[in-house]
Amino acid sequence: MARCGRGSGRLGHRMTRLDAGERLRRLLAVLAWLARRGRAPVSELSERFGISPEDLISDLELAACCGLPPYTPDQLMEIMVDEIEVVANLAPELARPRRLSSAEGFALAAAARAILSVPGSDTDGALSGALTKLDKALELDRLRVELDDPPHLEEVQQAVYAGRQVELEYHSSSRDEVSRRLVDPGSLVALDGHWYLDGWCHRAGGVRRFRVDRILSLQSTDVASCHSVAGDGGEGSETRLPAPFVPGPEATVVRLSVDEAGAWISDAVPTLEVSPWSDGRREVTLAIVSDVWFGRLLMRLGPHARVVDPPELAAAGAKEAKRVLARYEVDARH
Amino acid sequence: MERVDRLERLTDLVLVLLREGRARSLREIADEVPGYPSAGEARRQAFERDKRTLRDEGIVVSTEPIDGSDQIGYRIKPEDFYLPDLGLTPEEQAALNLAVAAVHLGDPSGRDALWRLGSAPAPSPLTAADLPSLPALPVLFEALRAHATLTFSHRGLRRHVVPAVLRFRRGWWYLLGYDLDREAPRTFRVDRIEDRPKLGAPGSAVLPADFDLERPSSEAPWQIGDGDATDVEVLVDAVVVPRMLHEVGEGAVTEKRDDGSVVVRLEVSHTGALRSWLLEFGEHVEILSPPSAREEMIEWLAAVAAPGDWATG
Repeated sequence: MARCGRGSGRLGHRMTRLDAGERLRRLLAVLAWLARRGRAPVSELSERFGISPEDLISDLELAACCGLPPYTPDQLMEIMVDEIEVVANLAPELARPRRLSSAEGFALAAAARAILSVPGSDTDGALSGALTKLDKALELDRLRVELDDPPHLEEVQQAVYAGRQVELEYHSSSRDEVSRRLVDPGSLVALDGHWYLDGWCHRAGGVRRFRVDRILSLQSTDVASCHSVAGDGGEGSETRLPAPFVPGPEATVVRLSVDEAGAWISDAVPTLEVSPWSDGRREVTLAIVSDVWFGRLLMRLGPHARVVDPPELAAAGAKEAKRVLARYEVDARH
Repeated sequence: MERVDRLERLTDLVLVLLREGRARSLREIADEVPGYPSAGEARRQAFERDKRTLRDEGIVVSTEPIDGSDQIGYRIKPEDFYLPDLGLTPEEQAALNLAVAAVHLGDPSGRDALWRLGSAPAPSPLTAADLPSLPALPVLFEALRAHATLTFSHRGLRRHVVPAVLRFRRGWWYLLGYDLDREAPRTFRVDRIEDRPKLGAPGSAVLPADFDLERPSSEAPWQIGDGDATDVEVLVDAVVVPRMLHEVGEGAVTEKRDDGSVVVRLEVSHTGALRSWLLEFGEHVEILSPPSAREEMIEWLAAVAAPGDWATG
């Protein structure tokens, strides 16, 4: 058991480089946790606070030397730490919740509200209870977070948690076709205002992302999922951010010139680059995977955009417009 | 001077400054907390640097006049350091930990918040949501809490606003507020705020008594505009019905056909926005009436189909 060896010179463990403020933030958090619980395994603390066991032990040994003047043993924090476990007997003040910054208060209030907006997410009401108390402490309730609520969301969520295969009837917007797919659900993510199911698609033989509001029907099965989705259930919450839409090898890079009236495009679709030209126009670079989708985009932009490159896509908008026009003309004859 | 790890000096400093009783002078503090240079300018600089680090960590060190030759004393006021106890039950704390693990705000604020509450995020759940992180958000949040007016630049215009509600919807953050220059409610997309909003004095913001907090803050694009509203009927193919109803709601349906298609009625004041949105559905939707809206769409499509007319772009 190591306790404070003030003045004896601690072993020179090389810390992972973090600035002192960040180390203090984490140390105060670990101390608060210990003040509430009294003891905890090193491995658990290390995982929970995202710190290597060596750094954790080193910081706690250092904390064992901290306290109030005259720094006699009775004035120091009582922390005993070995390779396996930390035992602490700390002043109850250390366990008191600390004042939150605006960003932190906002993050908590927004996270709780986001989850509460998902139907069936707070079955025991604990989160609503927590939010009520939080709002009271922050003296604010004028925040609203509404995540999308498409028709099959709840069934998809149940399938994800049950780990059962589902059969989807899915409308792929980029290809504009309906297909039936057997999917091993992996996880559910909300991004840019939409929910996506990431799962193993048996038809494609790989992990695919499905937009939940494009699921036309969903049939649950009793068959357990047989593929796990890579990257899921990872180590820390920070590492499991859903990947952004990185254009795959099948994507085509397209350059458009748009005028002021077409400038909305850079808000509406993911762009790779936007560079202004001197004449008020701008050049927008996109990665596209579907000609249909691109044709519809050009059709919406109308006279406000033209294709700079590649030239073979210059007529994609006209082609798409003819298809839509055909529908209007057919109906006009009836 | 004994070599002391800076983390140790900071931890001791926090404990000493939090101690009950009067504020203490720099000399007293530096004598008591191991690790400060013995005297002079170096000592003051080290202390100032520590104060800055604490401030960056959200720990406010207050300055107070004290008796004696040093005149200025320092301490951390408990009310600046602690939050009134939230009184969360273990279940409530666990639910909050899970929520923070599931909702990604693009920075570690949520994790830090749980740390300050003496807890930590849960392991990653299978459901996760990404909310866009914008630098203005915490500032707007603070303005709402403090009832402070806001001044910011939004799409090239200076705005003076009484903030009312901060709302996330359909992938965007919006601030709903009362525009003091235009004397009317306005909705601002937060990602279009171009500078760091400035707060007026706390308590300076008062909403008009009849202000409706629940007023929809993001109307459909085709409803924004100064034109008179017209009812437009749109036929929607079965294949895109879920997506369409999800956007316009079941209430818009006026007819359900045997083949699964539906007719929806939309109130439209901006026909350009309606056209752009409908064309996302390709040939799966069709404007039925009024004839003028249908004609307008056909003209647009005909022009796109034969682009010779605007060949020069």
